[in-house]
Amino acid sequence: MELHDKIRILADAAKYDVSCSSSGSNRENKNGGIGNASFYGICHSWSDDGRCISLLKILFTNVCIYDCSYCVNRCSNDIERALFTPDELADLTINFYRRNYIEGLFLSSAVYKSPDYTMELLIRTVKKLREDYNFNGYIHLKAIPGADINLIRLAGLYADRMSVNIELPSEKSLKLLAPQKTKESIIKPMSFIHSKLLEKSESKKLMRHTDKFVPAGQTTQLIIGATPESDRTILKLSENLYKYYDLKRVYYSAYIPVFNGNNLLGVSSPPLLREHRLYQADWLLRYYNFKADELLTEEELNFDVLLDPKINWAMKNLNLFPVEVNTADYNMLLRVPGIGLRTAKRIVKARKAANLNYDSLKKLGVVLKRAKYFITCNGKYYGGCEIETNKIKNKLLPKSNVLEGQLSIFDSIYKTESNLPILV
Amino acid sequence: MVNYIFDGTFDGLMTVIYVSYYNRQIPNDILSENSYQKNFLGDDIYISTDINKSDKVQNAITTKISKEALKNIYYVYLSELESSYMLIYKYVRLGFKIGRKINYFLQNDIVNDVIKLSQRINHEAYKMIELIRFKEIKKGLFYAKIHPDYNVLPLIVPHFAERFQDQYFVIHDVKRNLSAVYDKKSWIITDIPPEITLITKEEEDFENLWKIYYKSISIEERKNLRLQRQHMPKKYWDMLTEKQ
Repeated sequence: MELHDKIRILADAAKYDVSCSSSGSNRENKNGGIGNASFYGICHSWSDDGRCISLLKILFTNVCIYDCSYCVNRCSNDIERALFTPDELADLTINFYRRNYIEGLFLSSAVYKSPDYTMELLIRTVKKLREDYNFNGYIHLKAIPGADINLIRLAGLYADRMSVNIELPSEKSLKLLAPQKTKESIIKPMSFIHSKLLEKSESKKLMRHTDKFVPAGQTTQLIIGATPESDRTILKLSENLYKYYDLKRVYYSAYIPVFNGNNLLGVSSPPLLREHRLYQADWLLRYYNFKADELLTEEELNFDVLLDPKINWAMKNLNLFPVEVNTADYNMLLRVPGIGLRTAKRIVKARKAANLNYDSLKKLGVVLKRAKYFITCNGKYYGGCEIETNKIKNKLLPKSNVLEGQLSIFDSIYKTESNLPILV
Repeated sequence: MVNYIFDGTFDGLMTVIYVSYYNRQIPNDILSENSYQKNFLGDDIYISTDINKSDKVQNAITTKISKEALKNIYYVYLSELESSYMLIYKYVRLGFKIGRKINYFLQNDIVNDVIKLSQRINHEAYKMIELIRFKEIKKGLFYAKIHPDYNVLPLIVPHFAERFQDQYFVIHDVKRNLSAVYDKKSWIITDIPPEITLITKEEEDFENLWKIYYKSISIEERKNLRLQRQHMPKKYWDMLTEKQ
């Protein structure tokens, strides 16, 4: 099979993996080799779906022994199959990298012959890159569920980031759609990587130099909309993953019902807007010190797709508003719709120099069309309506711009691949 | 009212600031000689660049204001906007008055303009780092063409020199006729035009593989061209192998 056919088939098979970020690693170029990692990550292109291309995201093979019904590569699916060799893939990575097409390699695979056998093939490829080519660019490796823990450990010595996909938000759904994968086979490598990372950070305190072990940490992804879990269940799951496994990211992938065969739950179009809301909420958990329980409750299991989660939260907590921008503390500023991380920092800085007036808020980056309902400036309220849920909602809703949340700023920095929503 | 004319270099601009302080003379305008047209009304003074004076001013900015301020000033200078020279002058004056805390004065128009403009230059440099595409024009020699709005070449070369330590490369700013040349040890920026040889067969092969990859990785059901353009403005598409 020609190389270009392999690329066509195996890139196509990898495209549903959402993670693409190349951030979080401090690997340096050493001994006049090729490549280094950029801590904030770099995107190099954007495909027609608007998602960024940072790493060469590709499968080693799409030949699979499993038959998971949500997955395009399941063995019962009649599709073209292909298989790389470690040499081909290493050479391709280097040549793409030298042309500045990519930031590194994101290597995943279907389960070929056995989990151990597949994991060994992935390791041989990245070992070649690191040792034969002296490549110090970014490598993201997928841990194949069910592979031997020693192989995971070995892989971690070469990779900047590793991930194990949770795939579905609950064990029940996993049993239903991916009967050959067990919760244990997913959690085991994840908790192993976590414990290794803890061990590393301990030994770093004692030794100046330690070998690198997945310096950019681990991530996971799960499919939403294929099974009936609520937003609250999903968000609670993410919160726990961040808390107990120290994950860098949880990625959400709107289920795309293109896979012929049994149409799960009769999903007709990917729930992109729901995915977007979950990403926004995820950001609130990680950067804005929100708790999942604050955002969604037993009474409200899912987000109102028309409002972003921060406005949604503010509406339920109007008793905390309006806040005075000249005196409110940083954490409260962060909770104001229309004020993001950078803006909150700027406000805190600028008001040390001089009292803030309403006109200068815009200069500082406050999105007034949202923020004005939730703030006062020198005691004056500029919202132009009473502070009541329905009145503010009325003002905010007709402008469809509300939907374009704060994500856009961070997209470029943290490399999310979440789409801006399509109105549904 | 006096206008200061300088040679357009950064050291030249710093010298202007030195002279103005030394003579206790606030200029009406600061102009680079490239764009300057003689004006019979005002007093025009040509300032010749003096590295020592420039160093003194840069030192003073670092110690009396901050390193960050000097960085902002340099970035604003790279915008090449004629109005940027006076803006820098005003910013430095304000900085010497206020000191280290100048960047807290975000409500001040001068500070705000400097920071906004500096961010724009920074942003474009970042876009270039993302979107530059090298072609192997001779065995082991890589060539990339750019045409940025601002003169960001000096900001991006260190990134590539660090990354491609084992690779000869040239980054050619076709708009300004400047080339950054790296020889595996160090880099320089020169106005000698690079020699471009014919593209090899191997280069064409890799470009095709990349185009195939680019097409295959997109999810048709999620098509969103607006988002794509937002991150990858059309004005840069001619640089991109995958968009040819």
